Amino acid sequence: MKRPYPGWLAALASGAVLTLSGCASDAPLDTLEPQGPISRSIDSLSDPIFLVAGIVFVVIFGATAVIWWKFRDDHSTDEFPEQVHGNFRAEVGWTVGPAVIMAVIAVFTLISHFDLNSSDRTDIQVAVDGTTTSWDPEIVVVGQQWWWEFRYYFDGLDGVDLSDSRNLPPADIVTANQMVIPTGSEIGLSITSRDVIHSFWIPALNGKRDAVPRRVSPWKIEADVPGVYFGQCTEFCGLSHSRMRMQTVAMEPADFQAWVESQMGPAVAPKGVAAQRGQEVFEGQCARCHVVNGVNDATSSGADLVANAAPNLTHLMSRTTYAGGIFNLYEPNGTLNRPQLEAWLRNAPAEKPAYAEGRRGMPAMGLSEGQIDDVVAYLQTLGEAPAFDIIAATEVE
Amino acid sequence: MTDTMELEAPARPLGAYTRPKANTGWRDWVTTIDHKKIGILYGAAAMVFFVIGGIEALLIRLQLATPDGTVLGADTYNRVFTMHGVTMVFLVIMPLAAAFANYLLPLQVGARDVAFPRLNALSFWIFLAGALFLNMSWILGDAPDGGWFAYAPNTGVVFSPGKGMDFYAIGLQITGIASLVSAMNLIVTVLNMRAPGMTLFKMPVFTWMILVVQFLLLFAIPVITVALFLLMFDRNFGSNFFNPEMGADPLLWQHLFWIFGHPEVYILILPSFGIISEVIPTFSRKPLFGYPFMVFSGIAIGFMGWGVWAHHMFVSGIGPISVAAFSVSTMFIAVPTGVKILNWLATMWGGRVRFNTPMLFASGVVSMFTIGGLSGVTHSLAPADTQQTDTYYIVAHFHYVIFGGALLGIFAGFYFWWPKVFGHLLSDKLGKWNFWLMLVGFNMTFGPMHILGLQGMSRRIDSYSPGFGFEFWNMFATIGAFIIALGVLAFIVNVVMSARRARHEPPVGPDPWDARSLEWFTPNPTPVHNFDDDIQVEALDEFWHRKYGEDQNGQVVRVASAEEVCQDGSATDTHLPSPSYWPVVLAAGLPFVGLGLMYTLWLCVPGAVLILMAIYGWSFEPVDDPDGPHGHHNDHGSDEPADDGASGTTPAEEAPVV
Repeated sequence: MKRPYPGWLAALASGAVLTLSGCASDAPLDTLEPQGPISRSIDSLSDPIFLVAGIVFVVIFGATAVIWWKFRDDHSTDEFPEQVHGNFRAEVGWTVGPAVIMAVIAVFTLISHFDLNSSDRTDIQVAVDGTTTSWDPEIVVVGQQWWWEFRYYFDGLDGVDLSDSRNLPPADIVTANQMVIPTGSEIGLSITSRDVIHSFWIPALNGKRDAVPRRVSPWKIEADVPGVYFGQCTEFCGLSHSRMRMQTVAMEPADFQAWVESQMGPAVAPKGVAAQRGQEVFEGQCARCHVVNGVNDATSSGADLVANAAPNLTHLMSRTTYAGGIFNLYEPNGTLNRPQLEAWLRNAPAEKPAYAEGRRGMPAMGLSEGQIDDVVAYLQTLGEAPAFDIIAATEVE
Repeated sequence: MTDTMELEAPARPLGAYTRPKANTGWRDWVTTIDHKKIGILYGAAAMVFFVIGGIEALLIRLQLATPDGTVLGADTYNRVFTMHGVTMVFLVIMPLAAAFANYLLPLQVGARDVAFPRLNALSFWIFLAGALFLNMSWILGDAPDGGWFAYAPNTGVVFSPGKGMDFYAIGLQITGIASLVSAMNLIVTVLNMRAPGMTLFKMPVFTWMILVVQFLLLFAIPVITVALFLLMFDRNFGSNFFNPEMGADPLLWQHLFWIFGHPEVYILILPSFGIISEVIPTFSRKPLFGYPFMVFSGIAIGFMGWGVWAHHMFVSGIGPISVAAFSVSTMFIAVPTGVKILNWLATMWGGRVRFNTPMLFASGVVSMFTIGGLSGVTHSLAPADTQQTDTYYIVAHFHYVIFGGALLGIFAGFYFWWPKVFGHLLSDKLGKWNFWLMLVGFNMTFGPMHILGLQGMSRRIDSYSPGFGFEFWNMFATIGAFIIALGVLAFIVNVVMSARRARHEPPVGPDPWDARSLEWFTPNPTPVHNFDDDIQVEALDEFWHRKYGEDQNGQVVRVASAEEVCQDGSATDTHLPSPSYWPVVLAAGLPFVGLGLMYTLWLCVPGAVLILMAIYGWSFEPVDDPDGPHGHHNDHGSDEPADDGASGTTPAEEAPVV
């Protein structure tokens, strides 16, 4: 007689081992390693459900295995088994039973859900332009093809008109791709988009929320400890969807205050000759889309792009990533990652797919090698490099 | 076109042409209105698209096998994953279900054909026209790139300036016509044409599930058609239904899409549930456990399927109250689905289960769909879904539902009903290779996607960087995908080899599986007229009950052999509707209209001419050809399919009043 497939169970067991080993690997976007109270509350809701699902899985597969072992036709007899047409009580049981289980799950889900959609923010003190401001920590998050903008309004969002995302009111700080937050505080987010739908997601800090044009969706994040937390756009947004990433840098409140102060100032006029030539190139070419505060923020009426915005470069060097969070601005040793930056300036569409001809994404600027050197020199004057541990933490590879 | 002039033609002065007569060769396949041939056409066409969609899947897996993949590039990748989804949903699973429904539903209710045989042919040809139209986009170099879900405004002209999304919007409107026409046809067939004695609750579960699906189609297809129609106007005629620049709310598209899209999930899965509800009792040699529960849970799924659509939108910002309501409604749709799983297990439990290939696939559905259902429960919890949605966890989930649930069930159906359709069995040995390769490959491909998703791998990305922990499982999944391809290859080899072998072997005989339902009263393969005589139905599983009875001890005893019960297919005086040219002509006009809307309106002219000509010809087609091989006018029962030729269901004798 043929043995019923014992390899089947062996495969299942080895699968379970592989599964566990897979989860243990280093994954910066892992959804099961929460790093803040919000994501932890999601995790503590999910984990028991995975357990319940696992139990049901074992029961169903156990029953299937028994059927394979015990109720296989062994051709020993031609007789029919007992002709059972059903069992009303059993069937009512396995209709009502799961319904009760689901009802219990629903209660916990709704508690967690409404908790996640409440806000529990307390103002924090931030010194802005020398005066201490009581900031209800809320950051406006704007998605566009294929990068993220973060806007800080320290006077709060009351009276700030966010209805036209392509013409947002001036903010205290405008940065891109890397959002800086203080640890230990719940940060409110107002998420919107300038073109298509994107989705903002820092798995270690919270689930995701779509960025929908003409809508401002409330969301929130909070980090326990300083660190760099990775994210990825998760709503398909066209050509470079996979290359639209973001990071959240959480700092101790004191470090955050220092970061705010450094970000508040306009760009310092460059001193070197090459950098000064670079600024001329910037004003002639790059300034059509990009803004550097103190250079063209007063004159710029928005970018010559569908989204009407390009990353604000005033403090570019204080970030460790650019182009939608896909390139490292620094080498692991802390020096400028010059080859990548030059390649980007030389022919951006070759580095990251875009529809530059459709005014979506950075075009090839046709700069000469000399101009590229000058622009790099100029960009290096824009803002101070972040602390080395942040540079180190953003190196994924 | 007309190779014979009709002597009777003057009797129908407005009949433009005689009806075609061919009952062999390609002319027969093009003009046939026989539900069985149309079923085969649906199946064959869908399997071609299955291979195309499968190649697209392999390209996706090759691109993602290694980090920073360069096999396709971002632009091509986006088109390939869009067309993979569109193809597998609309051009593979739906028409495969239609193949089974067309072939089997009239047989299972003991009818001669569907209610409107010409409309049935029209459904198929319109489906094929729409499918070819969609895939024409590859040849014209502009395949859709906005995803099968086509979220606005990414599909507007600004963000998708090519013609790709026009192919999508118009192509799916065309295939939608096919689904709608077919839905009405099959509903009328089930409600009006059942054999004497077959009450609704003596109908096989497959017929029940197909009936539920047709109602879902009837109400869901109009919704997506409206959405596609609006999208077409936005893209081609400057309207602004989905343009946020002009004040539109992009979530309108999502609501319209998912009000269709969620019932669509049940449109895909319920036919498979029906198939395995036939297979499992047959091979367990027991009646289906809890037939009423199975029927009512199917109906319940059909109803509840309308109340859960916004669970696709938990993170889109629809507001916490809406999310809470849809979260809870989604949880409870697990209940009727769970009932089905447990009833199938209870059917097998205590049986004497023969694990032939159809049964292997059917029990594969029960296990694999369970996994898909359980992961589905985990994201009915809205907070958990904010982490899971749009990651590979979802990709894993719906492939367990659609591949593990729907497609494996369809393969169960192939192996089960192959002798009914083609008169010979598929090889059980190759079938087992087919099953195990597909099952192992399937789990290798989609099992690890649960892990990838929970590790944060986003959906619809054409590449990922090294260092995120995605490398190993992606490579693993790609290997699995090629094992699935081997499984499909085993099926194709099986089809070819079994057909060759069958030439030298005696026919399969009337009842190879000791089956239960009405279709097995007819010989294998089914003769063109289906049943020699009407069947008086006394019980659910009528065929089985004619073979077996019970003795005093309640033991099952055979009372008749299958040969005695089966009809021999010898009837010759059966009236059958004649073939028609017009369905294929009408359908051929639609792609021209579509291309005309996209490129130059002049192309609409030949399309409109074809359509109008076909409608005219159709309307004035002589009702029947009394001398042709199909036309033998006698023996009209009230339950007999009436040709829809002249005026709905007017019997052929009554000349249409024009």
